[in-house]
Amino acid sequence: MEAMYAFFMDKAGMGQAGAHVTVAAIMATLMFIVMALCALVFTWMERKVAAFLQSRWGPMRTGRWQGWAQAVADMLKILGKEDIIPAEADKALFIFAPLLVLLGSLLAWAAIPWAPGFVAADLDLGLFYIFAVSSMVIIGILMAGWASNNKWALYGAARGAAQMVSYEIPLALAAIPVVMYTGSLNTQDIVIAQQGGIWNWFIFRNPFLFVSFFLYFVASIAETNRGPFDMPETESELVAGYHTEYTGMRFAFFFLSEYANLFLVSMIAVLLFLGGWWAPIPGLDFLPAALTFVIKGVLMVFLNMWVRWTLPRVRVDQLMHLCWKVMIPAALICTVGAGLWMMASGAAG
Amino acid sequence: METFLFWFCGAAMVLGGLMTVVQRSAVVSAVWLIFAFVAAAGIFALLHAPFVAILQVLVYAGAIMVLFLFVIMMLQGPVLEGERRRMKPALWPAVAIPPLAVLVLVGTRIADHGTAAFTTPLPAGFGSPTHVAELLLGRYLLAFELISIALLVAIIGALAIGKEERKLPWK
Repeated sequence: MEAMYAFFMDKAGMGQAGAHVTVAAIMATLMFIVMALCALVFTWMERKVAAFLQSRWGPMRTGRWQGWAQAVADMLKILGKEDIIPAEADKALFIFAPLLVLLGSLLAWAAIPWAPGFVAADLDLGLFYIFAVSSMVIIGILMAGWASNNKWALYGAARGAAQMVSYEIPLALAAIPVVMYTGSLNTQDIVIAQQGGIWNWFIFRNPFLFVSFFLYFVASIAETNRGPFDMPETESELVAGYHTEYTGMRFAFFFLSEYANLFLVSMIAVLLFLGGWWAPIPGLDFLPAALTFVIKGVLMVFLNMWVRWTLPRVRVDQLMHLCWKVMIPAALICTVGAGLWMMASGAAG
Repeated sequence: METFLFWFCGAAMVLGGLMTVVQRSAVVSAVWLIFAFVAAAGIFALLHAPFVAILQVLVYAGAIMVLFLFVIMMLQGPVLEGERRRMKPALWPAVAIPPLAVLVLVGTRIADHGTAAFTTPLPAGFGSPTHVAELLLGRYLLAFELISIALLVAIIGALAIGKEERKLPWK
């Protein structure tokens, strides 16, 4: 990033403001391309993982090897579909909602540290910023459900918002012990604090952090509205949830944002607990940092899919019980416990 | 640059506030209110208070507005049916003038004094979470705790008043 700023300021002769705008534009485009690739790869991966777990083949024909082109074909199909806006819908909100959902995901991606020094927005409050802007997604979902003027969509949106607002709390609480250990909210600092092999990753630092990781993982599944917490999209009762009325490009935005968020929460898990771009053992150092980071992220996504296709869906009351009566108290205990552990081991400054 | 950003955020905030008041549909008003909150976060960021800016987005634009939207959606039909009237155009200035006046006053003060308020060097760590935490848990500890107790009482009170006596089918 420093090199990019230097290049645009010195070589291309732009001012400071010009260089910042240019770099921001390049990074935003890059993030968007990576996001689109993510959606492509993960749709195919999800089908194959689901098929594998259910002893099926999954897509086998499109493209030659393992039906790899199925995702491409699906994407082309979606883009070619008619764009329908229901006559009774609230037009402005209906158009704006998918954009807001996508904006929330894209903004959050800006603070992800891919490699040392390579982060679109190197903010001192990075982690906090990610949690803040991803709350835009909830508002987008509520808007989509309401604007569709369809009871299934509205129920889906209400369930989604209730679930995401509730699970945001254990999600953020589970990250607090890590922030306490690092003493910084900067995403790069958090990764740098985990240098030096797998035993320095925050997940293995102490038992409370170990539990925090699992709390984070469960909360992140609920945050992305995926099974076993996919109440907002229960196809047998709500058709498809908040995006029932959406078609074509606008549906593609929701789809894109769903997979972007899945990768986002997985990458946050990696940077908080699993050592970010650091290799697990010294012998694997030769891999580029960004590649290590992405591989770990994809493994977390795989874990997420594994859970989705293995466990049955929970009921609404079970969902809320788990959040408010189990996970939030457990996350609070972990925070206090990690603090005591830090004091006892002399890590607290 | 700072002056331009101030005018941009300020104008966006006034626009957001205005649209919140004059919109016919309650949901659309709430969306404009979110817009105004995000613009306010921009002003906080300009004032070297990034922590407060992000809190503004997280708490107000995010959590609180989700609750607003929820309540509006739950109550829509019956309550808002009688309210579907547009404000008389003659009343628009009455709504528009106060916020615009504040914006112009602040803006001209900035024009007078330059952007010194934005660019003067501040003590290291100003507006950082550490700084805010030291103030909240040190100097203003009593007020902070009293407010949290007041909020807790309000939540429990709201629960007690709003609780519906009804047996759930699976209990």
